[in-house]
Amino acid sequence: MEAQSRYLRHTLIDWFSQDEVARTKVAVIGAGAVGNEVLKCLALLGAGHIDIYDFDRIEVHNLTRSVLFRETDIGKNKAACAAERLKDLDPNINVRAFPGDFWRTLDLTAFGSYAAVICCVDNFEARIRLNFLCKLWGVNLINTGIDSRHAVIDTFPFAREPDASCYECTLPASVYQRMSQRYSCGGLKKMAFIEKRIPTTVITASLAGSLAASQALRLGAPAHKGSRRIFADSITGASTASDLPSREDCPVCAQIKAPVQISRVRASSRAELAPLARSNAPEAGEVTLPEPVIVSYQCKACGQGEGQDKPLLWRAADHDASLANCKACAGEGAVDIQIRDKLPLTVLAEAARLPVPFVMTASDWGTHVFVF
Amino acid sequence: MTDVKFIIRTADQTRKAEVEMDRTNQGADIVQAAVDNWALPTDTDYSLVNVTTGKALVPSQLLDENYVRPGDILEVQPVLVAG
Repeated sequence: MEAQSRYLRHTLIDWFSQDEVARTKVAVIGAGAVGNEVLKCLALLGAGHIDIYDFDRIEVHNLTRSVLFRETDIGKNKAACAAERLKDLDPNINVRAFPGDFWRTLDLTAFGSYAAVICCVDNFEARIRLNFLCKLWGVNLINTGIDSRHAVIDTFPFAREPDASCYECTLPASVYQRMSQRYSCGGLKKMAFIEKRIPTTVITASLAGSLAASQALRLGAPAHKGSRRIFADSITGASTASDLPSREDCPVCAQIKAPVQISRVRASSRAELAPLARSNAPEAGEVTLPEPVIVSYQCKACGQGEGQDKPLLWRAADHDASLANCKACAGEGAVDIQIRDKLPLTVLAEAARLPVPFVMTASDWGTHVFVF
Repeated sequence: MTDVKFIIRTADQTRKAEVEMDRTNQGADIVQAAVDNWALPTDTDYSLVNVTTGKALVPSQLLDENYVRPGDILEVQPVLVAG
């Protein structure tokens, strides 16, 4: 079917540019309840390029809030299934699915090409990571959240305003305390942590989804300066729009100094980091990792361990607190684990395999990001 | 030290009170007072918005004249995490 006929009604709206929407490239992280609604809106509006990221599989309880999923889809990957359905909705749009953890599947060399990233995840850790990436890369971020009654949509216009406040600027300390309950000191997962389930309905999901799509495509309203939050009550219909202030001691904003320079380091020639590491360049010292890694461990009782000669460079999040129990002498909690989120560049230059997608270094002159 | 009198309410507006607090209090103190006095769920995180001025308050923000004026309405909003 001709695209012109399909979007005929849109062309009658004086403030709506179908061409602009068709040129827009958007990433949607999380294809759950809100993600479904965002994707539905983007596809029906004719957003030209949509990338969907989700590691999760469809379960029967998802069907009450997911317009794109059917009973026959149970067990399928959410991103792949949603992508198929969007192509059914509009074959003119370009949709790609990236099953898996977005932290591992995102192509950071192309991350800057997104007009907006829409965050539809269900946990703080993923939001914090996405916020960090978007702030660093200067990509607009739309964050969404719901419960059984309310919907929130945060807009962070990092592309236009790199200094705009970020998601963590207004995050209460209790969120970090809650996150720390899931991890033991250093970032190892706790072995017995039960995730709280928050009840939601498609009402709040659709409220958040439609507003998020509108914000991402910047439909109908002049650009608002600064970061902004819309908080809506699905029962009373009341909503508030508020400016989100920045704070000096924000853990993200305080460590990213403008300008940000992003360099690609090819996996096949990681040795190119070595000359830089030996130089007097500002990057030559320690670099910051986007997540903690285990560099070594050793049992205090029997001496058994690894990484003393050559750092292990294991993602801490891939391991749980059982690592603290010695497998050799069965000493409970006897293992001393060294976990770092900063390392000398020389260590990374010599590593056969890097555990993180990028590293960064910041000084008064700005921030340098090395993408692997 | 000066006090400021303002209105505090929950996002669903089922709880509302006029309070007087010292300006040396922080946004986080107001949230904690609301959670304690109104027995709000403790497994939820909250942020604070001055709905009169249309500005959110960072948790460490003092109740400075620039941020909270007499009679302003401050709303305690849950930090929504589901998606």
